[in-house]
Amino acid sequence: MVKQEQELDNRPDNTAFTQQRLPAWQPMLSAGIVIPGFVLIGLAFIGIGIALFVTSRSIQVLEIDYTGVAQDSPCYRCSDPDTKDCMCSMDFSIDTLFKGPVFFYYGLTNYFQNYRRYGASKDANQLSGDLKYFTNPSSDCSPYQYDNDKPIVPCGSIANSMFNDTFKLYQIVNGTRKQVPLDGKGIAWWTDYNVKYRNPSVTPLENAFNGTVKPVFWSRPAYKLDPTDPANNGFINQDFLVWMRRAALPNFRKLYRRITEGDYAEGLPAGNYTLEIAYNYPVLSFDGEKKVVFSNVSWMGGKNEFLGIAYLVIGSLCIVMSIVMLIVYAKFKFPEED
Amino acid sequence: MTWRSPLALMRDALRGQRAREKDLRNLVSNLPYEGLEKAKQPNRHFPSNAIKTTKYTLLLFIPMNLFEQFHRLANIYFVGLAILNFIPVVNAFQPEVALIPICVILSLTALKDAWEDFRRYQSDRKLNNTPCLIYSKEKQFMERRWKDVRVGDFVKVVCNEIVPADLLLLHTSDPNSVCHIETANLDGETNLKQRTVVSGLLFEPESFSGIVVCEKPNNNLNHFKCYEKPDKERAGAGIESLLLRGCTVRNTDHAVGFVVYAHETKSMLNNNGPRYKRSKLERKLNIDVIFCVILLFTMCLVGALPPYLVPDSSGHLDSPSLSGFYMFFTLIILLQILIPISLYVSIELVKIGQIFFVTNDTDLFDEETDSRIQCKALNITEDLGQIEYVFSDKTGTLTENKMVFRRCSIMGTEYPHKENIRLAVLGEPESEEEVIFDQRPQSLQTGWSLDAEDTNPRDTTQRRGSRHRSKVTGIAQSDVAFSSPLETEVIPDKKLLQQISRAESSSGSRKTDPYLDFFLALAICNTVVVSMATAQRRRSDNLRYEAESPDEAALVYAAKAYGFILLARTPDSVTVRLPSGEDLVFKVLDTLTFDSNRKRMSVLVQHPITKEYVLYTKGADYAIMELLGTPYAQHHLDCYAKEGLRTLCVTKKVVSAKVYESWSVDRQRALAAIDNKEELIMDTAVQLETNLSLLATGIEDRLQENVPDTIMALREAGIQVWVLTGDKPETAVNIGYACRLLEEEDLIALVIDGRTLTMALSPDLQERFVDLAKRCRSVLCCRVTPLQKSRVVKVIREKLKVMTLAVDGANDVNMIQAADIGIGISGQEGMQAVMASDFAISRFRHLKKLLLVHGHWCYTRLANMIIYFFYKNVQAYVNLLFWYQFFCGFSGTAMIDYWLMIFFNLFFTSAPPIMFGIMDKDVSAEVLLGVPELYRIGQGAGEYKFSTFWVSILDAFYQSLVCFFIPYLAYQDSDIDIFTFGTPLNTISLFTILLHLSIEIKAWTVVHWVIMLGSVALYFVVTLAYSAICVTCNPPSNPYWILQSQMADPMFYLICLISTVVALLPYTFHVMRNSITPSPIVQARHLDRLDHSEREQWIKEWRSF
Repeated sequence: MVKQEQELDNRPDNTAFTQQRLPAWQPMLSAGIVIPGFVLIGLAFIGIGIALFVTSRSIQVLEIDYTGVAQDSPCYRCSDPDTKDCMCSMDFSIDTLFKGPVFFYYGLTNYFQNYRRYGASKDANQLSGDLKYFTNPSSDCSPYQYDNDKPIVPCGSIANSMFNDTFKLYQIVNGTRKQVPLDGKGIAWWTDYNVKYRNPSVTPLENAFNGTVKPVFWSRPAYKLDPTDPANNGFINQDFLVWMRRAALPNFRKLYRRITEGDYAEGLPAGNYTLEIAYNYPVLSFDGEKKVVFSNVSWMGGKNEFLGIAYLVIGSLCIVMSIVMLIVYAKFKFPEED
Repeated sequence: MTWRSPLALMRDALRGQRAREKDLRNLVSNLPYEGLEKAKQPNRHFPSNAIKTTKYTLLLFIPMNLFEQFHRLANIYFVGLAILNFIPVVNAFQPEVALIPICVILSLTALKDAWEDFRRYQSDRKLNNTPCLIYSKEKQFMERRWKDVRVGDFVKVVCNEIVPADLLLLHTSDPNSVCHIETANLDGETNLKQRTVVSGLLFEPESFSGIVVCEKPNNNLNHFKCYEKPDKERAGAGIESLLLRGCTVRNTDHAVGFVVYAHETKSMLNNNGPRYKRSKLERKLNIDVIFCVILLFTMCLVGALPPYLVPDSSGHLDSPSLSGFYMFFTLIILLQILIPISLYVSIELVKIGQIFFVTNDTDLFDEETDSRIQCKALNITEDLGQIEYVFSDKTGTLTENKMVFRRCSIMGTEYPHKENIRLAVLGEPESEEEVIFDQRPQSLQTGWSLDAEDTNPRDTTQRRGSRHRSKVTGIAQSDVAFSSPLETEVIPDKKLLQQISRAESSSGSRKTDPYLDFFLALAICNTVVVSMATAQRRRSDNLRYEAESPDEAALVYAAKAYGFILLARTPDSVTVRLPSGEDLVFKVLDTLTFDSNRKRMSVLVQHPITKEYVLYTKGADYAIMELLGTPYAQHHLDCYAKEGLRTLCVTKKVVSAKVYESWSVDRQRALAAIDNKEELIMDTAVQLETNLSLLATGIEDRLQENVPDTIMALREAGIQVWVLTGDKPETAVNIGYACRLLEEEDLIALVIDGRTLTMALSPDLQERFVDLAKRCRSVLCCRVTPLQKSRVVKVIREKLKVMTLAVDGANDVNMIQAADIGIGISGQEGMQAVMASDFAISRFRHLKKLLLVHGHWCYTRLANMIIYFFYKNVQAYVNLLFWYQFFCGFSGTAMIDYWLMIFFNLFFTSAPPIMFGIMDKDVSAEVLLGVPELYRIGQGAGEYKFSTFWVSILDAFYQSLVCFFIPYLAYQDSDIDIFTFGTPLNTISLFTILLHLSIEIKAWTVVHWVIMLGSVALYFVVTLAYSAICVTCNPPSNPYWILQSQMADPMFYLICLISTVVALLPYTFHVMRNSITPSPIVQARHLDRLDHSEREQWIKEWRSF
């Protein structure tokens, strides 16, 4: 008998795996599982939805459009592209305390920062401070690679189109304008500021830019972006970093400043305010709009009621469906009880 | 080496070409030319014996393999896209990166090819270096290697060695000038075949001055013609003198042959490599791929049109028409994954896995022959689950093809052999054995005592013992040919024994009594080889019959039981021992071998005592009846047929010396002919086979075990079973009842014979025949030729557009190849069917599990996997990317890093569907076997319908909408950047895809858990690692630290959660529908959850219902 066994060397292995008999868990999506499952999911979703909705409701948002399309807009004058160095101011008032910390955004619409060829138009090596690419920028930057045969630094469309409106916020206290301090530190991604973007290690920074020109649309070269703070210049300028992180969608906002200091650390008190705008950035050519947005944030980020509502709707839907299923099953009986 | 002019070389090459192409080749011995340079060798034009089956060479591997791979359209498509990406105006990704997927796929395939080729190279080298003996100048055989063998050499093969090239047999050690070979390597037949030395030729290598004229090489294993011209007279030789490469020499000490074909041997020419069949599912799949192409083009057009619609939108630097044109190509590159590149590779992997499980099934393993199921066609496993028509041969397929001599009718008297019936009916081997032990001594005693001589108790015990032993070896060894216990055991009929002894005593020494003639005919009229026990083929029996067909063996054993023992057979003589103990040596004048046109064979012998020329003919009854000189009552034959016996007629004819003389001249001429040799030989045979007088016999072929059960199950599974047999209608009907193909209460059953079938298959009647056959519950075709069988299969397959399967146990290669799936049963008779089949099984009953379980599994697995694949490719990315185009000005921006996109398809989501395709188990094997009706799911359109494809595409569209727009709405108007937006999309997509699959998976084993959880883990690990390492590596994209920052944000989880739930919500309808009106599969799955006894109960109830 033993001999015979040995001779059958073609016999397949009799293991659970080869014989396809591995122990298996066979879930059946039956009513008994689905209905309680739906009730649980529904309840959980409604819970999350309420939390999200309430949080979202507590977030205050103030949007001010300053494109100046309408003739009665204070910025109408400035919207003409021929006007240079135009200043305009928008007045607004706040009824109740706008709780701090208040985030101050600028917003653009119909602006395709995600356009593929626009997005490719930069030189990552240059921006990481590699001097080789200062004199010889990547061809990706074309047509903003050279200006009159001089290399552009930072080159490319993204840098060239950097947003250059500036804002000053005043509170009107007893008829006088009291400037609200704006905090421009730490508004960019930590990784961009510390890892991804680097200035060349040349001091003074200006020397690194010898033989290069500033982007065509810029009024100041990169090493003079922030005259008030020498450390906030070059490629690690916070506004530049914010701009270089391209927005995902054509209607977007970008963080401009935070209001965290002085009398306004608790937020913007009720009262009248004036926003003084240095209007430089043309948007009418592509039917865009410009706005500033004041918002405070919660754990869920900015105000967004959609997610809360979605959770509530789906949660209720689950509950309704479980009820419907229960009725249907009551009529047809549970098949597994047969 | 002397210098030769190029012109001379070219002329020589041309001459060689001509010599190879000619219909006849003139070959001479190499011996006189030995040692001369190559240009002087007479046989230099013919290729040497070295074989090379490798496809590639080391240097040219890469270009040749690429060329091979670009035969696949999909590869060209993807390379084209990758090249398109190098054109700056249309590129969507970094050009180098876009090459990665296609390179991965091409190199994986190349690696696989290289490995296979290397294996071939190794086996070639081993074969080429096998030693062999070649006659050399030194007047002796020198040891050389196979690759050194050239046409014109003399090669010596010793016992149990494999023949290195096609040899014309010139000399053997056997005194009778025969050589036995085993052709198992060629056609799987394990019985010994006899080859004879070319007649009229003395073997002397040195003085071999003749020219061997042979035909151009061809692949027919059973046909060869050549002649030798030593001087003026010709000596013809045929296949009976050819030792084929790959055969093994047995029972002969050594043999010497002249090499006629080296390299172009018959076995090599027969080696066509694996056949490529395309499964039904794959044909459908290709249509759906075309739909995907249309879908892709539509989507790209939608993306390319906006520049026209918005004439002067900002940012477009080119004219609208041009930029639209560019955009179209950019989008094709971006959305290319819609054409599932990995689908074909995955399908191949899945099929390898499926075949692994099929071949490893112990239920499809046959202990008796120690053989597993063989899958020869690697890409039609899923067709097994869609069969609607099964065409089966009878002999060797439904039946064992182990023949038992059952009854005979001599001179109009019936001898029923009642004892044998008992023997054949007892199916269980164990019990059979006991019955025999109880019964045999008694009946044998009577038998031999009636015989009155040579009664030797020692002999009986010896035979009993030997029988027992041979049975054991029969199980363990597969080289046993038709000597299983059944046909060796024939218990003589008492009445007949009496007749014989009476005849013996009365006819005296003349021995021409019809009874004696009958048994002499049985013993003589065959091609059975008597082999003595040799050390190599371990046999304890010292007489062993090796027959080419089992009925011959049965008849010889029957004759033996009556004392007419076939002792020896040489080409020229047959020795038979009579019951009286006297040995008669018949001179064999000629053997007219069996062919399927004549359906009979004859042996012409000269009686040693009477010196009469006697022609014994044996054949199928209808082939004999028309040749009978004297009419004969059909009664007994019909009666046998009704019992399901295979009837054979044996006849005798005395030929006068004058007739023989004139006939033999014709015969010699026919044998030496090269053109129309077969027809001439057949004509001469027909000339002689006239005016026969009849002796009759009937033998039984036992049904294989579980045949009725298997046929029942197949019918319950909605499969039409047709039996096509060469037997006469009565036999066929009887077998039909025996295997429950026909049942008493059957309403309509169609039994049709060959001649009628020819008419029914004529073009004008075809439609009506098919229509009629469709309405019949069972169809039996009898007396059909192999060609008709294949026509029937073809007609049904084409007219009804159904999936057909043909099973055959012998040589019906035509039928097997005509069907969608050909299954060979490696049984008793020839193995040609097995060689030509797609699957080879060893028992008919294996068909049940093969179709009902493996067929169902393979089909549902693959169908579901393909549907899932389409879904996955549409859902993942393609649509996400597409929707994003609406928000990025149709510029072809991807919001996911391209490397991660590649990883997504290559690593994160590739293993689960493959595992799903190999291992998913919707219903257990027990339930599938218990409820054959479940098989119907796969028939016809099956699970993979046109609508299924579109439903899954629609589902994918819905899911992609959810996966895109929920995050979109949640992040609207925020300061989110491109890749931070893409990350949750990517994650949601992964979870939706995997959870969708989780719902589809019916049974979760450890492997499932590991692969599914592993995929998720891999996604997070790889993406986290990549986003941590990649600071500036892939410039337009910016994945650095994105996932890390997202994972620190609770919103990420909330968005992923709701999107995944909403995407999968429509599944509840599915669940509800299944709970209210459960599909058979769902019901079966409920059954699976019950414990064993309960399940049995259920199945029983279900069946009765």
